[in-house]
Amino acid sequence: MKAVCWMGTGTMKTQTVPDPVLLNPHDAIVRITRTAICGSDLHLYDGFIPTMESGDIVGHEFMGIVEEVGPEVKNLQRGDRVVVPFTIACGNCLFCKKQLWSACDNTNPNAHLMEAAYGYSGSALFGYSHMMGGYAGGQAQYARVPFANVGPLKIENDLPDEKVLFLSDILPTGYMAAENAQIEEGDTVAVWGCGPVGQFTIASAFMLGAARVIAIDRLPERLALARKIGAITVDYSQDEADVLTAIKDLTGGTGPDSCIDAVGLEAHSTELQGIYDKVKTSVMLEQDRPIALRQAIQALRKGGTLSIPGVYGGLIDKVPFGAAFGKGITMKMGQTHMHRYMKPLLGRIEKGEIDPTYIISHRITLDEVPDMYKVWRDKQQNVTKIVIDPWAEKKAA
Amino acid sequence: MSEPLMEKPNAEANPTASTAGIVMDNRYLPPPQDGDGKIWVRTSALIQRSPEELYELWHDVESAPKWQEQIAQVTRTGEMTSHWVMRSGDSSIEWNSMILADEPGRRITWRSISGESNNAGEVIFEPAPGGRGTIVIVLQEFRLGKMAALWETMVGRNPKQAVIENLRHFKALAESGEIPRTQGQPHGDRGFVGGLKQSVYGEKIATPPGDSRIAS
Repeated sequence: MKAVCWMGTGTMKTQTVPDPVLLNPHDAIVRITRTAICGSDLHLYDGFIPTMESGDIVGHEFMGIVEEVGPEVKNLQRGDRVVVPFTIACGNCLFCKKQLWSACDNTNPNAHLMEAAYGYSGSALFGYSHMMGGYAGGQAQYARVPFANVGPLKIENDLPDEKVLFLSDILPTGYMAAENAQIEEGDTVAVWGCGPVGQFTIASAFMLGAARVIAIDRLPERLALARKIGAITVDYSQDEADVLTAIKDLTGGTGPDSCIDAVGLEAHSTELQGIYDKVKTSVMLEQDRPIALRQAIQALRKGGTLSIPGVYGGLIDKVPFGAAFGKGITMKMGQTHMHRYMKPLLGRIEKGEIDPTYIISHRITLDEVPDMYKVWRDKQQNVTKIVIDPWAEKKAA
Repeated sequence: MSEPLMEKPNAEANPTASTAGIVMDNRYLPPPQDGDGKIWVRTSALIQRSPEELYELWHDVESAPKWQEQIAQVTRTGEMTSHWVMRSGDSSIEWNSMILADEPGRRITWRSISGESNNAGEVIFEPAPGGRGTIVIVLQEFRLGKMAALWETMVGRNPKQAVIENLRHFKALAESGEIPRTQGQPHGDRGFVGGLKQSVYGEKIATPPGDSRIAS
């Protein structure tokens, strides 16, 4: 089959590799019909996530048709149409039983690597480094899906793939970000980052009762999408713009009830602290660039909630913890507990409450993926979301 | 004498003297230190099965190859004795082991009695506080020397990490009916560095096969 492989920092290649086979009794093989590139895939591309190996098949947002199931998979059969969550969960450990699916104990074969870095290992992810399990990902024509008895969501309607594909990661991730923000009816919410997760965070904040959403980014195409769903946008790259001032101006000097960092570890900034982090990360004195995080803490109202869906991997510097303590804020974060949200969000899509396709800007083939990583990283061609048809030969329609 | 704290509605009795030496008179005891040619490893796992079921699984020594890394075969040779074969590539080591203490549903201790490995161990099955499963504690001791060094070279994992990984496999199998694996999945060319990383991450050690009949 064809698959997109990470071949080192800045190098993705579409290669021909063997087809996956069933390896464990709860496995399924899925013929992938649609897949996508995630913003977090850029952290792999840019070399920010350790324990990648050359030849790793990347991609963790995918759906398709069940081709084959292992002997212990009773809930699926060949021909079923499924969306696959990017986190892999066993369904039986203490954490799965508590619905903390992304904290599953039993799916990471390399748990010892994550234990060394984080104290304990969370669930494994598809296509996202060996510390996170080393599972082959979904920017490919087929994937092996472990614990297919627990994860995949069966799609039993005739909605097109594109409408349900984002149930694999970014829609639940945006939704959990808004839920973690503990939004109450009438709240004002500020969201840093208007990429795909930021978009669905804004949408979910409204769905959960926010009265006003302030969206912060620098890219006109993303800011336009945010305005399209009702947010007030702040372009931090404008000469006179100061995000903290803007947020104070828009909240009567009080600050938002919730701030959401949907940017994560590769934040960009035009300011001096941005340069500080860039220098420190480039000489390995710091691993992540927490610019959005610092701003969000600073901007948040007293007693407010900070929610962090943006990915952080390692150590960060100069976090204003005094401000966090002084204002008595609450912080909630982490990988999405996918299995909690997929079904309810499918319901919202079926009822027409949200149509997630509004973020898609590019539809491509597997062969075009390596070049598109560069476009995606450099934010060329007004890119907002890239969807892949892994079977299209030429440019997909 | 009056108690200083009377209101603790969910408190449970503390372990009196956990035999793996974790708690004594309500004080935590750190694991034994390596020395005198011995290395020690103590590790624990919280497993969502009953102590009785987990005891049965562990006690069935002939099924050890299903969840212990590089254990090729275990044969019962008597009521309390068994013969163990560990294999890595073309080489193997063999030893005989004997159960010293056998308390159903609670505790097993063993030691090697002859052969090419000098080890002893203990496993405890304790109900977790709050009814949240079973805490399994393993304390294992290896006598260093030529054998242990040979073991490590052969096995490609240091023996301490092997004990930790084996308990992890035991838990995964007992809870989910399989041991997570990636060996055998497709990938592109690893190159020299990729192959090196696989060794460093322990990915070249065969994941034991598991057995789904063991799941609840």
